[in-house]
Amino acid sequence: MITIWIAFITGLTTGGLGCLALQGGLLTSSLARQAETDALRGKRSGPAAITATSGMSGASIARTILLFLGAKTVAHAVLGFFLGALGAFLRLNALTRALLQFGIGVFMIGNALRMLNVHPIFRYFAFEPPAQITRYVRRTSKREASFALPIFLGVLTVLIPCGISQTMMMAAMGTGNAWMGASLMAAFTLGTCPVFFGVAYSAMRIGAKLEHTFMRVVAVVMVLFGLVALESGLNLMGSPLSASRLARSLRDDGATTSVVLIPTQVAPEPTTVSQEIVMEPAGDPIEPDITPTPAPPEKQTIYVQAMQDSYLPPRQRALANVPAELVFITDFTRSCTRALVIRELGVETYLAESGRETFEVPPMAPGAVLRFSCSAGIYTGEIIFE
Amino acid sequence: MVKKTYRIPGIECAMCAMALQSLEDDVPGVRRANASYRHQRLEVEFDETKVTEEELLAAIVDLGYDVEAIA
Repeated sequence: MITIWIAFITGLTTGGLGCLALQGGLLTSSLARQAETDALRGKRSGPAAITATSGMSGASIARTILLFLGAKTVAHAVLGFFLGALGAFLRLNALTRALLQFGIGVFMIGNALRMLNVHPIFRYFAFEPPAQITRYVRRTSKREASFALPIFLGVLTVLIPCGISQTMMMAAMGTGNAWMGASLMAAFTLGTCPVFFGVAYSAMRIGAKLEHTFMRVVAVVMVLFGLVALESGLNLMGSPLSASRLARSLRDDGATTSVVLIPTQVAPEPTTVSQEIVMEPAGDPIEPDITPTPAPPEKQTIYVQAMQDSYLPPRQRALANVPAELVFITDFTRSCTRALVIRELGVETYLAESGRETFEVPPMAPGAVLRFSCSAGIYTGEIIFE
Repeated sequence: MVKKTYRIPGIECAMCAMALQSLEDDVPGVRRANASYRHQRLEVEFDETKVTEEELLAAIVDLGYDVEAIA
């Protein structure tokens, strides 16, 4: 799951440029109309003020952009609210969220490859609004400027989302919570504002070539985010093919064991042993060696601590064919490691900030691996039964 | 009314498609202009008594796009 902070940083770093490429034209139209209106109303004089936005006062430009961005943020937050509610309605479980994460990753990488013009097939990753919608948005942007125009255009941006916005929308639905969806979209859109404002404010000064370079940077970053989303999806599915689990398998061949065996409570049956006392000339009689065969343990206890940024130990071994108590320990843990998913046990829970929570594990066959992760699929761990 | 389809290899996103759609408002005689980024195509319906095909193609080039006739 993409957190609020990651959504904000995504908006700050790549979303602003991505959205600007698609929605900047609307804002520029609004600025141009505002410039004409300002000139007609006598706010600026001289021929330069009539046709160029550079003729607008700085305050007028700033006000128009801020109204646009404010409306855009509110509109996207409302959209996120409904997407989150839709996700809750669909009752996304861990597997569905995993598939959604996987889909987000594929979508982001496909979009990035489209932006890099790798192959025409990737154009199908672009969302094309219907012609009627683009026609309405375009004609609205050409209306005479008013106080409400940039607000109205800002709201209309939800109809023409850029590739990164579309990804955030899917993530908002994946939260399965209306308020989280709204927060995610608001955080992302707020993140886009500084870049959007800065670039739009000096929009006429940025040449097409520089913008083209920026878009390539955006595409590369999208590929990286897409790979992170794919990794999360694989971890949530409990797949051994995620990069983190493969890396752990390669570097760690001596898993830490922190298993506590609970011995059998029943006393062993007495073993009949023939005793032969050998009298040594000078010494005590030697007692025969009686070594009873130890009975198999009734149960084993496996401990895992949920830390701020990991599960410890991340990998451990336990006994096969012995039922287990899997105990998760938290100690003032304020991290998403508390949002625990053990798909094989059907566990999706939120651990207390401090305490212990126990899960029953049935006897596992030799070679079985029980995998667990946070609900975002970022922090992972596994128990290998031998 | 005449309906023609052109190939526009320079459409890079939905914004380009919107820009080409503006032919409806800016070129007298053009009734409909629907552009597709996915297919890199522009479908134009125009009244040839008000605008010739040459004028239409010139307007597309003025917007900054190369244009190739298909049908």
